[in-house]
Amino acid sequence: MSEQTASWFNVYNVRPETEVPTESPLAWSCHHSGRPSVSEKSRVVLRERAMLGHLILRGGAIMLDEAVREVLGFGLPGRPNTLTRDESGERSIQWLSPDEWLVIVPGGEEFDLEGKLREALGDAHDSSDNHYAIVNVSGGQTLLELEGECARELLMKSTPYDVHPDAFPVGKGVTTIFAKASLILRRPTEDRWELVLRRSFADYLYRWILDAGREYAIGVDA
Amino acid sequence: MSQSLKQPNRLHEGGRIDRSHTLSFTFNGTRYQGHAGDTLASALLSNGVDIVNRSFKYSRPRGIVAAGAEEPNALVQLGSSEAAQVPNVRATQQALFEGLTAQSTNGWPNVQRDAMSLIGKLGGRFMPPGFYYKTFMAPASMWMTYEKYIRKGAGLGRSPMERDPDHYDHLHQHCDLLVIGAGPAGLMAGLTAARSGARVILCDEQEEMGGSLLDSRELLDHQPAYRWAERVIDELGRLDNVTLLPRTTANGYHDHHFVTLHERRTEHLGETAPLVDGVRPARSRMHRVRAGQVLLATGAHERPLVYGNNDVPGNLIAGAVSTYIRRYGVVPGEKLVLSTTNDHGYRAALDWIDAGREVVAIVDARRNPDGDLVAEARARGIRIIDGAAVLEARGEKRVSGARVAAIDVAAFKVAGQAETLACDTIASSGGYSPVIHLASHTGARPSWDDELLGFVPSLVKGVHAAGSARGVHGLAEGLADGTAKACEALAALGKSADAIALPQVDARYESTACALYQVPHEKPTLRAPKQFVDLQNDVTAAAIELATREGFESIEHVKRYTAMGFGTDQGKLGNINGMAIAARCLGKSIPEVGTTVFRPNYTPVTFGAIAGRHCRELFEPKRYTALHQWHVEHGAEFEDVGQWKRPWYFPQVRPQVRPDATNGERESMAEAVARECLAVREKVGILDASTLGKIDIQGPDAREFLGRIYTNKWAKLAVGRARYGLMCKDDGMLMDDGTTSCLAENHFLMTTTTGGAAGVMEWLELWHQTEWPELDVTFTSVTDHWATMTVTGPEARKLLAEITDIDLDRDAFQFMDWRQGKVAGVPVRVFRISFTGELAYEINVQANYAMHVWKTLFEHGDKYGLTPYGTETMHVLRAEKGFIIAGQDTDGSVTPEDLGMQWAVGYDKPFPWVGKRALSRSDTRRVDRKQLVGLKPKDPKVVLKEGAQIVLDPDHAIPMPMVGHVTSSYYSPTLESGFALAVVKGGHSRMGETVYLPMADGKTHAAEIVSTIFVDPKGARQNV
Repeated sequence: MSEQTASWFNVYNVRPETEVPTESPLAWSCHHSGRPSVSEKSRVVLRERAMLGHLILRGGAIMLDEAVREVLGFGLPGRPNTLTRDESGERSIQWLSPDEWLVIVPGGEEFDLEGKLREALGDAHDSSDNHYAIVNVSGGQTLLELEGECARELLMKSTPYDVHPDAFPVGKGVTTIFAKASLILRRPTEDRWELVLRRSFADYLYRWILDAGREYAIGVDA
Repeated sequence: MSQSLKQPNRLHEGGRIDRSHTLSFTFNGTRYQGHAGDTLASALLSNGVDIVNRSFKYSRPRGIVAAGAEEPNALVQLGSSEAAQVPNVRATQQALFEGLTAQSTNGWPNVQRDAMSLIGKLGGRFMPPGFYYKTFMAPASMWMTYEKYIRKGAGLGRSPMERDPDHYDHLHQHCDLLVIGAGPAGLMAGLTAARSGARVILCDEQEEMGGSLLDSRELLDHQPAYRWAERVIDELGRLDNVTLLPRTTANGYHDHHFVTLHERRTEHLGETAPLVDGVRPARSRMHRVRAGQVLLATGAHERPLVYGNNDVPGNLIAGAVSTYIRRYGVVPGEKLVLSTTNDHGYRAALDWIDAGREVVAIVDARRNPDGDLVAEARARGIRIIDGAAVLEARGEKRVSGARVAAIDVAAFKVAGQAETLACDTIASSGGYSPVIHLASHTGARPSWDDELLGFVPSLVKGVHAAGSARGVHGLAEGLADGTAKACEALAALGKSADAIALPQVDARYESTACALYQVPHEKPTLRAPKQFVDLQNDVTAAAIELATREGFESIEHVKRYTAMGFGTDQGKLGNINGMAIAARCLGKSIPEVGTTVFRPNYTPVTFGAIAGRHCRELFEPKRYTALHQWHVEHGAEFEDVGQWKRPWYFPQVRPQVRPDATNGERESMAEAVARECLAVREKVGILDASTLGKIDIQGPDAREFLGRIYTNKWAKLAVGRARYGLMCKDDGMLMDDGTTSCLAENHFLMTTTTGGAAGVMEWLELWHQTEWPELDVTFTSVTDHWATMTVTGPEARKLLAEITDIDLDRDAFQFMDWRQGKVAGVPVRVFRISFTGELAYEINVQANYAMHVWKTLFEHGDKYGLTPYGTETMHVLRAEKGFIIAGQDTDGSVTPEDLGMQWAVGYDKPFPWVGKRALSRSDTRRVDRKQLVGLKPKDPKVVLKEGAQIVLDPDHAIPMPMVGHVTSSYYSPTLESGFALAVVKGGHSRMGETVYLPMADGKTHAAEIVSTIFVDPKGARQNV
């Protein structure tokens, strides 16, 4: 990133360099509501992928697509309500709105990624077509994975969105209503659903999912 | 408890019940037996129980009339324990299970001897139609008294008083085609759509799918019709694209093909859901279906005829007689008289005679009927009296006879001598009314079909009807209609389906039905024995005639005046007859009179199913900050701020403070708040301010945008500085406030109020997207990303200095500056913003590390007296400084200038910011607007009530002119006095005046109008 860019935007690594205690958005919930263990009876398994890097990208699709390809090696999803992933599946980009994408990367990569993207995008400080924004939201959300034969039925209890495979193929991702909150729902693989939820709603959603999953002997994978 | 082990009316064979599986149940305290496959109603009939209830208004004995959802009388209260109570269950729709316990909903002390019936007998005179409304007025003050007795007398069951042990849920469903009803048309439609590969949901309200096929006399493919139904259901059950929902009532048709289906999942198994694998399944489930197309195959309800004493137990509708005999193996009597207007009714007599019981006569309103069924009855030697009808039933607690006479339908009069036939059962059929309730929920008015003698549904786009639901009553025709309509529905979705081959059905000749609703009597309607139209609401033909005579001509008015079609019944049996009678009385045709509107729900739905999982702890989301666990562990009391749970105050456990107090007593709220306030003013306090809305704003036009959306100026705010801003709606009224910091030239961080966060975000997007899309700026919520902790008080600097690398020197890091650096080893941004009036540092830390930073502050805080404080202390401290809270001191009618904040309004900004124009209107420039002032009660011990009205002259006659009200009021431990903020007309020019606050308890408080700033008017303390 050029010095110039640095004076236009405040890009700040909010991860401590030294090891300090961290708490994911579900820390309180696991403490307070417990973590039912996974057994062979569990027809739904829940897993938190805590502490990942979450960035919001805003701007024009063509410009951002080029930068993302250059930096991450794969492009933006071409269609609304879809996501793309790298080969490892560890990095993903999801369409959120016509000029908004969610990038999720392994925890710790986000600051470096933001810098490289800004570098690739250049100094967009004048009022021209190349305005963009990158916002680190890693502390504000967490990712949950749902798997198991009854995962889809659990989703049907919770969201008005149609999660039938015909309507929700692999690679789809939407922002939708879930119980009385909203979240991002996506299906990266055939058998796995991912929920990206906001920190402050995490406890409510966790309790909801455990309640709705009780009849499927839901277990939480530590 | 008495016992009855015989089932005198049970046939030895036939029906779909399992005679090898006997179940015991209790009804009104007596134990009976029935079989698996019975409904409560069929089991009661098999035990010869005649009286199942007392009527709503007249308290007359009532028996079972129907076999399905249309049953008006057999409403029972279920449940052997308090927690399991369910009111108003139709016995005809309740599957029998071992141990079922039910009681009549009405009748005291019991249905056999009812105290109300005396009133009921006199009742004709005391309870005319409109009786209910008349009690409102005579005199109005007595209504509360009347209501208590009317409710007790009327009795529509009662709610459980204990917590429901069951749980309920919702399931969101989507499909191409929703088929409602699994009778002949519905099964054909479902099969047609299913074989095409479409996503199909087929629901049916009964215990078993198949509808009329389950008790049909006809053959399909040379076998009993139910065999065909079983084969189709089996095929559908094996298809992945089909969801079969038996015991599921489509109870409401909402907009855009959103249909709610109420599935009773365990009600047939027990009064509470039995454990399955150690887990209690949801007792019932609301399927919230968004369908591409909907096909209504809801069938038809048979209309009873309206004749004298047609409510005496032993009067049934003809189809119900067939259903009880053929489906449940129960004959509800010994000697039958059938009164009919059509061929279909004859089935009851044929089924009755097949069951080996006596058919006294079939009384047919038509002359010389000649259909195939008529011929069959004649061939079986049944006496057929044509051109006649049952005029009235004899008997009180059970039918003992039927008075029959020739009638002249057209002239509405009796045309011959009446004859009384001894019998114990009268079945009647006045034809079939398509079940149009769901179509009616869409708002489409049904239309009358003179040939069918019924209303047929009008259908909005995307809704289809098939079979009896649209008046196609014959079996062969209904099956064909089902497949044809399914093809039409799928075609509308751009999908194709092949019509499927129909099973073989024998053609049957039917003679034309006759239009008879109310049977004439020798006496005029008003003096004839009661002829019931709506049994559930005790509405008689005479009541409808009286209503029309009293001037009620619109059917909607007649309905409300008489209560016809009210309640759980929704006019299933009585409405068409009622409209026909109203039409006769008004000299109009039925289509001219029209129909009333049916509303959801089709049959009652329990509150549990409506609430689903949205109850108890999951009723409403609770939003927590990253520091919530610490607050809980430190005994915080919480306050709801929107959905957030914020610490309100932190009561401490006190050492023994009074000789009489017990050790470990917690502080009161007032004590805790006073302690917290003084800690901030004298030492240092800490507040979890994470709930404040935070919006990251980036872009070359960010500064320009801020200047347009805030009332004050942003052009010159330097990097590293923060500024307080006011946001107005376009009407010039304050909507939100907060500080915004310049992080870099094109990068800002806005804060909003906790409650206003989402609204402000939408507001920014709205103006950007619709008015100023040319501005290059983007907004991203970072409320949850950053946790915010406010360290404030004279010792704040010393405390923070211990764990930060940021230079806190008063000149290097001034008031309204922000800096970034590390606190407790974690990168943070620190803002010198003060909402307390004291030296203050607001620390923003990535939320995952917040707890570590917070705890580290406490590790170092003891020696400075670090005290956690909550929202109540925050309120007191900010009010002492005259800092407003948007939404508390403002209510959408307050301008920045009303608040005395002219300093934050930039009229000379080049671009006309939101609200500017409205602020130049004459109304917003009035000098007598309500303006924010401080109030100092004359008695320092008084804490004025928030919301209290302010007057200038306490001796003025009531009503006194009110000049304002208190918006915020607290006790200040710093001032050792109560104090308040208030809005007062022309308040800014009333400094020093005394105003009065008359209270509801008769006291009047006096207060002086003062500045809004009570503590440190020069702001020296926050600038140290």
